[in-house]
Amino acid sequence: MADSSTDDPALAAEFDILAKRAGLPILAGRRPALLQNYKDLKRMTALMRQPRTAAAEPAGAYSILSVTRSV
Amino acid sequence: MAKALHDVSIAEAGAMLRSGSVTSMALTEHALDRIRSVDPLISSFITVTKESALADAAAADAAFAKGIDKGPMQGIPHALKDIYGTAGIRTTCHSKLLLDNIPKEDSVVAAKFKAQGAVMLGKLATHEFALGGPSFDLPFPPARNPWNPDCIPGGSSSGSGAAVAAGLVRMAMGSDTGGSIRGPAGYCGTIGLKPTYGLVSRRGVFPLSYTLDHCGPLSWTVEDSAIAMEVIAGFDPLDPASADVAVPDFRGKLGKGVQGLRLGLPRGWFVNADGASAETLKAIDDAAQTLAKLGATIEEIELPDYELYNACGRVIMFSEAYAIHEKDFQTRPQDYGLYTYLRMTMGAFVSATDLTQAMRLRRELAQAVNAKLKGCDALITASTLAPAPGFSEADPNSPPNFPIQTMPFDVTGNPAMSIPTGFSASGLPLSMQIVGRAFDEPTVLGIGAAFEAATKLPERRPSFAVAKAA
Repeated sequence: MADSSTDDPALAAEFDILAKRAGLPILAGRRPALLQNYKDLKRMTALMRQPRTAAAEPAGAYSILSVTRSV
Repeated sequence: MAKALHDVSIAEAGAMLRSGSVTSMALTEHALDRIRSVDPLISSFITVTKESALADAAAADAAFAKGIDKGPMQGIPHALKDIYGTAGIRTTCHSKLLLDNIPKEDSVVAAKFKAQGAVMLGKLATHEFALGGPSFDLPFPPARNPWNPDCIPGGSSSGSGAAVAAGLVRMAMGSDTGGSIRGPAGYCGTIGLKPTYGLVSRRGVFPLSYTLDHCGPLSWTVEDSAIAMEVIAGFDPLDPASADVAVPDFRGKLGKGVQGLRLGLPRGWFVNADGASAETLKAIDDAAQTLAKLGATIEEIELPDYELYNACGRVIMFSEAYAIHEKDFQTRPQDYGLYTYLRMTMGAFVSATDLTQAMRLRRELAQAVNAKLKGCDALITASTLAPAPGFSEADPNSPPNFPIQTMPFDVTGNPAMSIPTGFSASGLPLSMQIVGRAFDEPTVLGIGAAFEAATKLPERRPSFAVAKAA
């Protein structure tokens, strides 16, 4: 539930929904600090959205060699 | 004047052991005495394995007496960050959650040192699960900086940096996911080598982030890190990230100088960075001049914005760390320290799309660094951006982000070594990084050794009174 610990009620509401979806109990007294960290996380994930082609694959793509060599 | 025994390097101690001028038992007893007298000031050890260390030393001396020589770490005392699994020895990750965790098997790194007859003195303090610290709400106190115990030693390999700088061990193993070897090395004035991703097995080491975790040494001299790498590097088919490549000759370029090498300097990353101290920046510029005088060519280069590397690494790290700890976060979050809780919880809020975008960006950022390394033999750049901060500078209610620029090379996987560049007016170490092409640790170590020989910085040790008396 949103409270007065943030000046962005929408962000607080979003945080609460995500925490509930993750099955994550928010410990008493820690919500304000978590909300601040969540704001910073949102800044970082926005920073990563850059123009790239559809062909730009992620690092660490699945490698069959690394799976089969240990079997 | 002869060096004090704790100032003797692994290379020097190895020669002494083989000439019979010292025994492993003498080295071990001296180290245990020094731990007893000095460590109460810096809290670098969580567990001291006195009995097994003395037994290891006796076995090493017996082997030498029989003419058995298993390699350069035989008879040498060392210690492991307390996330390295050790058979029969408590491995806590500095956490309440693992206070009773006694592994049945050694981590690959611990087993390799053991197979070579090295002497394991104990397990070292860390930030909780290599992430949350420096904290006072954990079962063990945080390690402190030997140059000034009111200052942090960096983290998460906090005990490793502190123990090496204080002369309790010549080499200690750390781990590096966002800078956890190079940060403590920078703040404590030691060498700290994060090897190429996949060069050292992580099997049996408690993971923080699967695709970012690296195991590597902290040591007082460059040569000692090279020696440690000789022991621990190599392909492990049971580590999914392990690289099946030829192990390089880590000491092959020591003493060869830097004549003709081209070194890239991404000055734009750090020169205007928040929190960068003038002393640190001047020391990097001075180091570049020193390397130029030794025959290297220094070229300023541009790389993608530093903050992209930082964001990419942190999003991946939070996600992977939370995945490892998800069940405990759902059922017993109160058992984590506050800083761990606040940092790791963010992983619960990263979407699958966020993570995929981070992994796409990661490939681009790695390609950018490696493109520059086609035209350069290595890079030099900042490590810690300022001298070690005081414990009092950390907000008890929010995890600190002290200025440090180590994350890029966890993201790219390139080998990166923190090396001292001098001292601040307050007497605290300053540092820089030397970064190489993938699997080219020998060049990184060679440049570091040339710089170390030119500056003679290892001659200066922390001078706290108890350390002198030991």
